[in-house]
Amino acid sequence: MKHIRIDPITRLEGHGKIEIFLNDEGDVANAYFVIPELRGFERFCVGRPASEMPRITNRICGVCPEAHHMAATKALDVLYHVDPPPAAKKLRELFYSAFFVADHTTHFYALGGPDFVVGPDAPPAERNILGVVRKVGLEIGRQVIDARMRNHHVIKMLGGRGVHPETGLAGGWSKAVSEEERQEIEQIARRNVEFGEFSLKVFADIVLGNKEYVDMVLSDAYTHRTYSMGTVDAKNQVNFYDGMIRVVDPDGAEFAKYPPRDYAKHVAEHVEPWTYLKFPFLKAVGWKGLVDGKESGVYTATPLSRLNVTDGMATPKAQAAYEKMYETLGSKRLGARYQPVHHRLATHWARLVELLYAGERMLELATDPEITEPNVRAPVTATPDEGVGCVEAPRGTLTHHYWTDERGILTKVNLIVGTTNNYAPIAMSVKKAAQSLIQKGTVVTNGLLNRVEMAFRAYDPCFGCATHSLPGQMPLELVIYDAQRREIERLAQYLP
Amino acid sequence: MRARTLVLGLGNPILSDDAVGVRVAEAVRAALGPDPGVDVEEASVGGLSLMERMIGYDRVILIDALTAGLGAPGSVHRLDLADLHALSPTEHSGSPHDATLTTALAVGHRMRLPLPREISIFAVEVENVIDFGEEPTPAVARAIPQAVAAVLAELGRAAAPPPCGAPH
Repeated sequence: MKHIRIDPITRLEGHGKIEIFLNDEGDVANAYFVIPELRGFERFCVGRPASEMPRITNRICGVCPEAHHMAATKALDVLYHVDPPPAAKKLRELFYSAFFVADHTTHFYALGGPDFVVGPDAPPAERNILGVVRKVGLEIGRQVIDARMRNHHVIKMLGGRGVHPETGLAGGWSKAVSEEERQEIEQIARRNVEFGEFSLKVFADIVLGNKEYVDMVLSDAYTHRTYSMGTVDAKNQVNFYDGMIRVVDPDGAEFAKYPPRDYAKHVAEHVEPWTYLKFPFLKAVGWKGLVDGKESGVYTATPLSRLNVTDGMATPKAQAAYEKMYETLGSKRLGARYQPVHHRLATHWARLVELLYAGERMLELATDPEITEPNVRAPVTATPDEGVGCVEAPRGTLTHHYWTDERGILTKVNLIVGTTNNYAPIAMSVKKAAQSLIQKGTVVTNGLLNRVEMAFRAYDPCFGCATHSLPGQMPLELVIYDAQRREIERLAQYLP
Repeated sequence: MRARTLVLGLGNPILSDDAVGVRVAEAVRAALGPDPGVDVEEASVGGLSLMERMIGYDRVILIDALTAGLGAPGSVHRLDLADLHALSPTEHSGSPHDATLTTALAVGHRMRLPLPREISIFAVEVENVIDFGEEPTPAVARAIPQAVAAVLAELGRAAAPPPCGAPH
């Protein structure tokens, strides 16, 4: 058996690797996505005051500290049995919308986009944001940097500091917003809406205008029919900050809808011996292995799955973009929603629809008369016990669950992070892309391997986060083993 | 008036040795006292965000953990961007949400952003960046005063023995 190893993966936080096992005929027998996990987080937390969690958990990950801050803050509301005033909830969502704009922008232009904009077979040194700027022009680079910087400014203004916010508290938010700040945020939100429209136009011009890319998006290699998960509001529409968890089956019928506190009744975790990560699955369907279909409990929690579960978007421009996406991809209407799309590369498109929604929602909140109310915190009087907090992180549903003693000292912590939800579909996507692209007699070229990587990049994965030590990343290494697992070739393609 | 020099400690403060850049920056801040010419900050960002933090400064000194095996844990190295590029030759990022610093700086220069003319990096070879914890390993803890002295010397504020040479 031949053994191809891609280690570690470029542009992926942590040190994951893909192992592709070939049989004697040169076909893919199996493909695994293996991730070493950072250790000891729960041990680190137990014995500390739960009130520190919004500031501790935002250190778990260097990519989405704002999402951890928000899930932790919401878990404290439940833990301390306190309902924040309306202005506090709106401020939190305003902050969170700015974060979504910045995060989705960076993913599309720095990670996912280069595969399409520069091309999946372009040399790796070109397939990055610099390659995007070279190909499409300086103006795009300016727009991306401007979008990031103005939204990071809002995050700092509302979150108390940049990158690692500190304003979330049990029962509210530590800082109200002034009229002057509100006006500035409103202007930024208006520009975000324009930028969301601009980004969808870039996608339409470059991806939808290129038959080869469209065929790739629609190809079987990048398709998996799984259950979809996402958070919805009272109208069953996508909301990143709060709501009920809705799951639809592969045909689009509602399968479950539950409050976040009930997550453990609906989701269980399967353990495999070859990885530290656990595979969450839908309890009521059961674990049937890494397989597609209605009989398999595998589900997906991504921008695409959020759009699959929603009864339309809550804002007008995003609604129009959502309809265009589903109709272009040939989905039939199912009442207010559409048949789910299962083409994994369409996740990039869904991300841009969400980017536009985040901009529009931010504008709604920035112009809400209540947003400048000074009362942004309800007093905490109850004895803490247990709390679950849930938000949609950019890369999937994020759940924090804390247990404390009567003083609020943590006795147990459980987190299901965004990417973990998608561990099973990611493994399935990697295997399928490898099977379709590495076949008998096929030369394994770098472009081909990149397409395998593209299969998981669509999920915007983030594993074993937060180590940023230099050099920050390593060259892509590829090792081929023969049937006896002896190394027969090693390619470290980008070494000087 | 805005400070012309930025000292930026990089790392995750609760991930054992990954925090070394942050610890060194804290000690540099304490040693310097109030100084209108120097901002001392900490961050756990890379790539584009790191480039964006440098905008408007003439000179930037980064302090970070290093896992390149250039020396024993606790060895302190002074690097420049060319060294960093040699250690990290692809233009990909170690993060799903970013470019490498080299790529990010190239993007910034193309957009004519006011980026520093001089960027130096003090890197401490580390042992443990996988276990959560607030304490560095002993060898890395012992290296902190040496790294602080090296940064102060770079700022021209104190004499210090030179750190180990950069890799060539």
